[in-house]
Amino acid sequence: MEEPPLREEEEEGDGDEVGPEGALDKSPSQLTAEDVYDISYVMGRELMALGSDPRVTQLQFKIVRVLEMLEALVNEGSLEAEELRMERDSLRKELQALRREGPSAGGEVSLGPDKMVVDLTDPNRPRFTLQELRDVLQERNKLKAQLLVAQEELQCYKSGLIPPREDPGRRREKDALVARTSNASCNNEKTIIKKLFFFRSGKQT
Amino acid sequence: MAKKTYDLLFKLLLIGDSGVGKTCVLFRFSDDAFNTTFISTIGIDFKIKTVELQGKKIKLQIWDTAGQERFHTITTSYYRGAMGIMLVYDITNGKSFENISKWLRNIDEHANEDVERMLLGNKCDMDDKRVVPKGKGEQIAREHGIRFFETSAKANINIEKAFLTLAEDILRKTPVKEPNSENVDISSGGGVTGWKSKCC
Repeated sequence: MEEPPLREEEEEGDGDEVGPEGALDKSPSQLTAEDVYDISYVMGRELMALGSDPRVTQLQFKIVRVLEMLEALVNEGSLEAEELRMERDSLRKELQALRREGPSAGGEVSLGPDKMVVDLTDPNRPRFTLQELRDVLQERNKLKAQLLVAQEELQCYKSGLIPPREDPGRRREKDALVARTSNASCNNEKTIIKKLFFFRSGKQT
Repeated sequence: MAKKTYDLLFKLLLIGDSGVGKTCVLFRFSDDAFNTTFISTIGIDFKIKTVELQGKKIKLQIWDTAGQERFHTITTSYYRGAMGIMLVYDITNGKSFENISKWLRNIDEHANEDVERMLLGNKCDMDDKRVVPKGKGEQIAREHGIRFFETSAKANINIEKAFLTLAEDILRKTPVKEPNSENVDISSGGGVTGWKSKCC
């Protein structure tokens, strides 16, 4: 997307030095309406010098027509070039704005290669720690284990494996158990958990 | 007090890449059911199944781990207590087979030295989508000296066999300890004291 040097510069820079003939040396893509007029001036002068031969006059009409066509094409081209220039300028501005935003926004975000950005408006954003998840899972599994034990025991009662009425000796033992405070049931609970979770106790002890 | 309804308690662990069917394998074994919808396991879960081997009632506590990397710090902390580990891959997923060595390394790092290991190539009902030949599974199992089964939770192939074989292998290693009374202290974990002393 290299742009040719601006037309205005060329005209101001070279125009005076080279004179009207200079227009003939220009690249077609850089030709302006002014250049076409310069060319027509030069050619008109040379045709005049050829005298008033009717063939010259005939040629002159054709040359004028060709120059008019060239003028139209050059005008059209410069209009398009102007539009493209404007578009380019606005894109450049946009790019600069993005470049300016980029590093500043990136500065807040890229704290390191292992960092992650969290959208605080996302209802599904991560917000609990691994430790919290671990705790919840442990509690879930503990309760699940207790439920299974309770279900098993219930099944035993239902199937008559454990008689609902027990002999006096065991009855006493049971009463004594109940009489003990919550501490006892707490210990009892611990043994059940311990039983099912010596997974962890193995690690901790 | 709670009456013991089993003689031994074995703790098993299922590991392997996400989506290979660990939860389905376990669900088939514990509930004899299968569900096609994939719900990723969150962290760690477990199921209980009591089986009878050599006249002994063995309670299997089977821990089902999440295969996803983000749960690894949670799941690896459960390796330690496992007496048997089932490493599952998916015969239709080459990556899950390649990762076996990674999972075996995890076992070496986090599990008990004498843990009983087993390799399962799951989804063997999907032979049209197979990318891991049975021979490759057998070979890697042989190299590591572990048992191997191709299974299908969906078609109920080799699931029970795999669990029972693993339980038998553990039972074989378990020191024979005749319970002196019916009411064994439950906190000791029954006949698994040998294991317990090992990990403490």
